[in-house]
Amino acid sequence: MSTPPAKRQKRDQYRKRAAAAANEDTGKVKLPQKKFYRQRAHANPFSDHQLDYPLSPAHMDWSSHYPAFVNPDPEQKNLAGARKLLKDVEVVDIGCGFGGLLVGLAPLLPETLMLGMEIRTQVIEYVENRIQALRTQQNQLKNSSTTASESPAPAIPAEPATDGASPDAASTPETSNSPVPGGYQNISALRSNTMKFFPNFFGKQQLSKIFICFPDPHFKAKKHKARIISENLNAEYAYALKPGGLLYTITDVEEYHHWVLRHFREEGEHEASEGGVKDLFERVSEEELASDPCVEVMRESTEEGKKVTRNKGNKYVAVFRRKADPEWPA
Amino acid sequence: MAANFQLPLQCLQYLEKRGAESQRFLIASSGGKIYSYAAETGQRLSSWPQDVDASNANNSKATETETGSEDQAPPEKKRKVSPSEEGPAETSKSTVKASTWSSIPCLVAHSNGDYVIALTAEDKCVRVLRLKDDGTLEQLSERCMPKRPCSIALTDDGNTILCGDKFGDVYSLPLLPGNEPYVAPKLPNRPKVPSATPLTVHSKRNLESLEQQLRYSQKNSTEEKNSLNFQHQLLLGHVSLLTDVAFVTVPQDDNFGKKRSYILTGDRDEHIRVSRYPQAHIIEGYCLGHTAFVTKLCIPQYAPGYLISGGGDDYLLVWKWSEGRILQKVPLVKQESETTQVTVRGIWATSIGGSNIVLVALEGSSNLQCFVLGSDGTLKPQDPIEMSGNVLDVAIMEKDSTIVVSVDCIREKGSTHEWRASPTSPSNLIESFRVKPGTENLEWEPVTESLVTNINMGGSSGIPADADTKQRKELNDVLYSLGNLRKKHGEDD
Repeated sequence: MSTPPAKRQKRDQYRKRAAAAANEDTGKVKLPQKKFYRQRAHANPFSDHQLDYPLSPAHMDWSSHYPAFVNPDPEQKNLAGARKLLKDVEVVDIGCGFGGLLVGLAPLLPETLMLGMEIRTQVIEYVENRIQALRTQQNQLKNSSTTASESPAPAIPAEPATDGASPDAASTPETSNSPVPGGYQNISALRSNTMKFFPNFFGKQQLSKIFICFPDPHFKAKKHKARIISENLNAEYAYALKPGGLLYTITDVEEYHHWVLRHFREEGEHEASEGGVKDLFERVSEEELASDPCVEVMRESTEEGKKVTRNKGNKYVAVFRRKADPEWPA
Repeated sequence: MAANFQLPLQCLQYLEKRGAESQRFLIASSGGKIYSYAAETGQRLSSWPQDVDASNANNSKATETETGSEDQAPPEKKRKVSPSEEGPAETSKSTVKASTWSSIPCLVAHSNGDYVIALTAEDKCVRVLRLKDDGTLEQLSERCMPKRPCSIALTDDGNTILCGDKFGDVYSLPLLPGNEPYVAPKLPNRPKVPSATPLTVHSKRNLESLEQQLRYSQKNSTEEKNSLNFQHQLLLGHVSLLTDVAFVTVPQDDNFGKKRSYILTGDRDEHIRVSRYPQAHIIEGYCLGHTAFVTKLCIPQYAPGYLISGGGDDYLLVWKWSEGRILQKVPLVKQESETTQVTVRGIWATSIGGSNIVLVALEGSSNLQCFVLGSDGTLKPQDPIEMSGNVLDVAIMEKDSTIVVSVDCIREKGSTHEWRASPTSPSNLIESFRVKPGTENLEWEPVTESLVTNINMGGSSGIPADADTKQRKELNDVLYSLGNLRKKHGEDD
């Protein structure tokens, strides 16, 4: 009874070793291993978690999340006295899980700040460690390539049988030793309950993309209130999105896909047929999605996406564009 | 047996009927009953529901714990309370029995003085009552909401009720339902199939339960989901417990004569949201600055650009709400005492004798704090008024420069749970104060006219002074539930 279960013991040992290794700072950087960070796939969004969140977006300290983008002028401070950034976060992955999407998107949009939000403590710790390790790796690559007498970056093939630039390679960076645009300085993650505290982090029309990938389906009808997509929450997403901004969804549950469509806009549904929050979104056509590399990343490099592929499941994608606010009624 | 305690007046409202001759009433809820008084004399005109038998009202066994627990829904509350009467016509002209509810936590007076909207606690019913010329009340409609409502507001035109509930949703209901029976919109008849498939669930246990569901769904496929049987619309929602709803209409600066309306909603997670009305899905902004739950939103009629908000913080915030900008942080306690936690119970704004007054009561406090709102949106503290018991509600009669305060005559001053040793006779149900004219600072003088004496003499329903602890606790919880909104941080994972 007194000794912790074997699993936790192993985790603790792993963490200790990892911390020790990080302190020693010896050459090779190891990425965290997922098996030591697993957590039950569900969290109750209605309970009061011990969460850290800023009083308002103007009180958020982003400087520790994106040190490479901190405004060089130390006088530039926000309401909470933290250093300001050169630019705002513009892409958010709600329920980022183990961070596959962020890591996949990072080189595609190297100059855009992206944030993953996740409610599970173990999982967010993994993502934080993963991003930290990736950044260190990239820094080392950069340093070695500049010091090692102009020789081209170590041309180790990223992985056999995959073309180096594919997002897949980026998502398995344990083997990718080539420098990546942006060096993963543009991605970060934090723990939050977005259903409650989304407006504490992001102001009006701040975001250009929101991703909701393989959300918890909450199969039981009684639990539908806990779904991350609902008319009420869509109003909050609309608030944070710029006009023209995109909201990406992907799920492997067909019923949930129809739920998503019902709560935004069905294809071919008449304009203004219903009113409500649906007025604020329009669905992006399949042709347009075909040329959007983000959709490919969403399908293939998220952990959940890979799992669905392994299990030969289906993937349903729907993307919506934020329209401008309608006129005030006369 | 010792003398009885008198059940205090939980809600107090003043209203004025705009007819050929103006009539003025005070309406109060106490326990499961609503009383109407003539505002001039304090004479009790009626009590609703009428056919209540006295023993029933005193029977606190009917006091369900429902009103007391405001925290996250524990599982045993999942049960559905079915509406007492099925059928589309909810205009039950017949008399209503009081046995189904023990308190009326919310009472709203219609601006034209003809209607009173009351919320009964246990059955979650929004009831619209007509106030007749003789002061009697007649129920026009009862509409049971799916979740317990926390706050009720009326739109400016007075035709729509806005009702915020503990699930974070705001519904709009017409004040007076139309004559045609309500027909629920036909939902496309989706066959009931589990949404999970072997493609989406994989573990052995999940696959087994899916199999079971498939078998089960084939057996009983027809099961009607009972929905609300009256006209309603979901306007907006927070993923939190909603605590207050405010409605405001402001004229546009650049567009002459045009007005815009907004709904402001406060929740347990420190947010105040500003949404358009009627396009409530468009969020105009947030007022973020509280560090504890919000309980009250007050937009003074004389200065609709300002919002005064309060809750579990030991300060009020004055906002320019259209910009989400804090104008002032107003301390509510004299010295920083870390031990006591304060909760704002009510904020009232009125304009008397040219000064814009804001009154604030804290939960379980006999001190009514007074402020004057300056034209720059800052609150200047004035001398507070000390009551004989905890402040429960305030009704304002602007024409007479008078406020009527309902006070708690059962519990000790400053306590939400300690009862007085013995009831006073007659009990102080209300106290009243008038602004002293011609003084530079805001000064109040007590009103001792028949209004006060008659209401206090009249009493309400009695509670035996030897009520047991359980009964006392239930009664305390009915009146003082705001403290339960405070978060208790426990183990987290």
